[in-house]
Amino acid sequence: MNVSSAETWLHKINPSLKLFVLIVLCMVALFIKDLNYMINVTMGVLLLFLCFSGHPLNRILLLSIPFCFIFLSTSSAMILFGQGETLWFKWGLISITEESFMRGLLVGFRALLFAVLGLTFSLTTRPVNLFYSLMQQVKLKPKYAYSFMAALRLIPIMLEEFQTIRNAMRVRGVERKKGIRSLYFKMKAYSIPLLSGSIRRAHRIAVAMEAKRFSDTRNRTYYYEFGFSKNDHGFILYFVILLLAGLYLSVQFPYLSI
Amino acid sequence: MERIAFVEKLRLKFPGDESLIFKDLSVSFDKGEKVLLLGPSGCGKSTLLQVLSGLIPHSIEVPMKAKELESPSSWGYVFQDPDSQFCMPFADEEIAFVLENLSVPKQQMNERIHNHIRQVGLHLDDIHTSIDTLSGGMKQRLAIASVLALEPEVIFLDEPTAMLDPVGTKEIWDVLKEIGKDKTVIIVEHKIDHVLEFIERIVLFNDNGQIIADGPKDIILSLYKNKMKEHGIWFPGVWDEYIHDHAPIREQREFNDGGPIMQMQGFRGFRKKEEKIMVEELQIHSGEWIVIRGENGAGKSTLLHALMQFIKTNGYYELMGTSIKKVKNLTDNMTFVFQNPEFQFVANSVYEEIAYSLRIDKKPPQEIEERVHALLEVFHLTAHRDKHPFQLSMGQKRRLSVAASIVKEKKIILLDEPTFGQDSKNTFALLEWFEEYRKRGITVIMVTHDDHISKNFATRIWTVKDGKVISDEKISKQLAFLETEVLSL
Amino acid sequence: MRKGLKLTDILVTIVIAVAFGIVYILWGSIYYSVKPLGLHVDQLIYGMWFIAGPVAFLVMRKPGVALLAEIAAASGEFFLGSPWGLTVLLYGVVQGLFAELVFMAFRYKKFNMSVAVLAAIASCVGSVLMDFAYGEIGALSLWNLLLFMIARFIGSIFFAGVFAYYLVKVLEATGVTNLVRPVSSKDYAALDQK
Ligand SMILES: Nc1ncnc2c1ncn2[C@@H]1O[C@H](COP(=O)(O)OP(=O)(O)OP(=O)(O)O)[C@@H](O)[C@H]1O
Ligand SMILES: Nc1ncnc2c1ncn2[C@@H]1O[C@H](COP(=O)(O)OP(=O)(O)OP(=O)(O)O)[C@@H](O)[C@H]1O
Ligand SMILES: [Mg+2]
Ligand SMILES: [Mg+2]
Repeated sequence: MNVSSAETWLHKINPSLKLFVLIVLCMVALFIKDLNYMINVTMGVLLLFLCFSGHPLNRILLLSIPFCFIFLSTSSAMILFGQGETLWFKWGLISITEESFMRGLLVGFRALLFAVLGLTFSLTTRPVNLFYSLMQQVKLKPKYAYSFMAALRLIPIMLEEFQTIRNAMRVRGVERKKGIRSLYFKMKAYSIPLLSGSIRRAHRIAVAMEAKRFSDTRNRTYYYEFGFSKNDHGFILYFVILLLAGLYLSVQFPYLSI
Repeated sequence: MERIAFVEKLRLKFPGDESLIFKDLSVSFDKGEKVLLLGPSGCGKSTLLQVLSGLIPHSIEVPMKAKELESPSSWGYVFQDPDSQFCMPFADEEIAFVLENLSVPKQQMNERIHNHIRQVGLHLDDIHTSIDTLSGGMKQRLAIASVLALEPEVIFLDEPTAMLDPVGTKEIWDVLKEIGKDKTVIIVEHKIDHVLEFIERIVLFNDNGQIIADGPKDIILSLYKNKMKEHGIWFPGVWDEYIHDHAPIREQREFNDGGPIMQMQGFRGFRKKEEKIMVEELQIHSGEWIVIRGENGAGKSTLLHALMQFIKTNGYYELMGTSIKKVKNLTDNMTFVFQNPEFQFVANSVYEEIAYSLRIDKKPPQEIEERVHALLEVFHLTAHRDKHPFQLSMGQKRRLSVAASIVKEKKIILLDEPTFGQDSKNTFALLEWFEEYRKRGITVIMVTHDDHISKNFATRIWTVKDGKVISDEKISKQLAFLETEVLSL
Repeated sequence: MRKGLKLTDILVTIVIAVAFGIVYILWGSIYYSVKPLGLHVDQLIYGMWFIAGPVAFLVMRKPGVALLAEIAAASGEFFLGSPWGLTVLLYGVVQGLFAELVFMAFRYKKFNMSVAVLAAIASCVGSVLMDFAYGEIGALSLWNLLLFMIARFIGSIFFAGVFAYYLVKVLEATGVTNLVRPVSSKDYAALDQK
């Protein structure tokens, strides 16, 4: 994301490591079946997100709105239509049971956890840094890394192009067509030039990169170099403690009995 | 002399095309030479440059073969389009990308980046500046800086200044002259004013991609002037001859249709909530030819966008007596040619592109055929009628975008740099077409960096600076450029 | 072909994918606005999220492209701050892999509608497997689960199969595909004319 923010210790963590830790955490979360434990872990991650992303609070709150949405929509489907023994409520096809309610909450919290982890990452990591680090630490081939960086640069250009195409269509009289068939026509009129234009531009940039002697050798030097630091240890430690403490608390002080 | 790049019996053809672009073309370049490739638009100059550098077929797959072909071992290439040659978001990162490719140690990078940026006269407060915020001219400088980072023996330049204002053009050529002193430089360029003093040899092409002359610049310019004229290639003094051969062009007829067709007062245009253009008071009448001038980034395009209501505007703006807020079908009365021709292509072939607006209006096929055919002829596109618009050369794309927008006669035509990248033949064809329209009472409003146009065709010149129209110069009939009346605002 | 994808191929694939990444994000809001309708109507449009792979492959016709495209689309979505976060990355890998396997099974030599549809179905299977691991849809009652699956399969076939195929057909007409596909030997032969 291209919004400015203060630098916090989360920004200083090695990007590959950060990504790796978050993905591992996601995998672990897939195996957490205990609602209490899930809630604890989610709270721990939320804390990280709210306090250390370095972005102003109002922006964070704005970005959090979709979270509630995700939580509600993910859990509601499960709650309303799930199977279970202990029936709480039944109306037509809808049946809420205790089991389905708990499972719904579990799924909802998991979706919330994933969303927060993802946003924390993208708010505290510059894509360019991530790809430089991936080349250095994970040995990602440069041709993939630089392609990604070039493509990300193209995103704002594509969005602007969309606006321009709209204007061009207006000049040429496309907007004046009416009816269902024109809807199809308009969709085609917008999407095809956008897509084919992007492909051509991508091709041109690739040619320009090769004209600048881009090669895929791995012994290239790097403008940004990434290593590991104390922050990285702290980061790993935070999650280890979170997972252990969360488990302990969920056993000792459960909020809900299942 | 040592040969540094050459090709012998080159044959090349684009997939799907019937005929070859080059048939047994041979040309060679010596070390240290400064050469200009000159030829009509669409003759294959850009393509040849790509072959010589090895981009074709190494990076761009195009069917070709040659008896012998040698590309230089170390070269740099400045492309025409300033927007699609960067792969990184920030200026320093872009040059660092080149240095990384050459395995320059990290410790040396910072200093070299600063050096190259200084060499091309790119004044940045911080080298870590987002490329998107640079103007067209600055982007081209950055492109040259990253070419310098390659420390090339040979530099290929494909119309590097096509999008730049006169000052920027001169500055870029000054930079290129300085850095190209001890290098081989091979140039494709239509605007030859600044190039001529730099080069020593000219290779002349005809429409079919054949070399019609190749030799020292003075000899070519004196012996082949007629050939150049015949093929519609720019040469020094082309404008003088044109003016001499054509009776005075400018004579504004009065149109008694009651008042101005456009009026503005305190009119402002906004981009991303920032005011980018302001007009204090202007009135436009039918049959005027207004040229808008100004530096890169001054706000010329933005002014046209505001007039077309592409961007948010406020203030007073009236079109043919109706306030703009009440005008429903603006595009029935006004048409617009975008600065970047590729933005406005909507059809899959050159022919359909021009026929497009007519088809929307359900004109009879007979009439469509006639109108399209006429335009194809005038703009020298007949041979390419079945191509996809994107497959055209730079100049051809530009012409097509103009043709497609003006095929339907509207009362007002707005054009954003309609003549860049054109040879002389096509430039004059375009200008004469506009003049024809103007005489019929159509208003032409045109952004251009070409002073010859403002001098010889305009009836009125606006100058835009820092987002404001700062002067409105009416050029009265006939002996126009002798008595100009400056109405400064 | 031995040496894998060239820079041009990779960059073009990723750009196609990122373009769809933007569509994916927009699609998310459509998906959520349909969701309250219930009865898994939302699943009918789920298939859109598989489209990048088939489109990229049909445009480029090279091995590895479908997988790369889905991963890139997911990462694009991820970087733009999709609320789905890391989930999309995991899903993207699996969906792309399944589509890639289909193209591989045809040795990357078939580019017709049937392969596109098969690839779409494969992606759909992949996503359903992921849903079992992640969303625990296995706990839904049977009639509900069946409805869910049928809706999703129909949607996938339509969006990622049929629609993708026709989209590429239209793109072909614009001539861009010539840029990225291998040149035919017929064109080389034509160089010897006259
Ligand atoms: N990808 C392509 N497919 C088919 N034809 C092409 C393609 N690219 C270029 N051409 C054709 O090849 C010819 C030469 O194009 P090229 O771009 O080399 O011209 P040019 O001499 O540089 O012209 P200009 O001065 O207008 O830039 C043109 O007629 C163009 O239509
Ligand atoms: N789409 C955009 N969004 C935001 N700012 C823009 C946009 N386009 C142009 N600008 C800014 O508006 C100002 C005027 O730009 P404009 O394109 O009108 O200049 P111009 O006079 O047409 O220059 P040129 O000769 O390079 O075409 C510049 O500062 C530019 O950075
Ligand atoms: Mg050219
Ligand atoms: Mg402009």
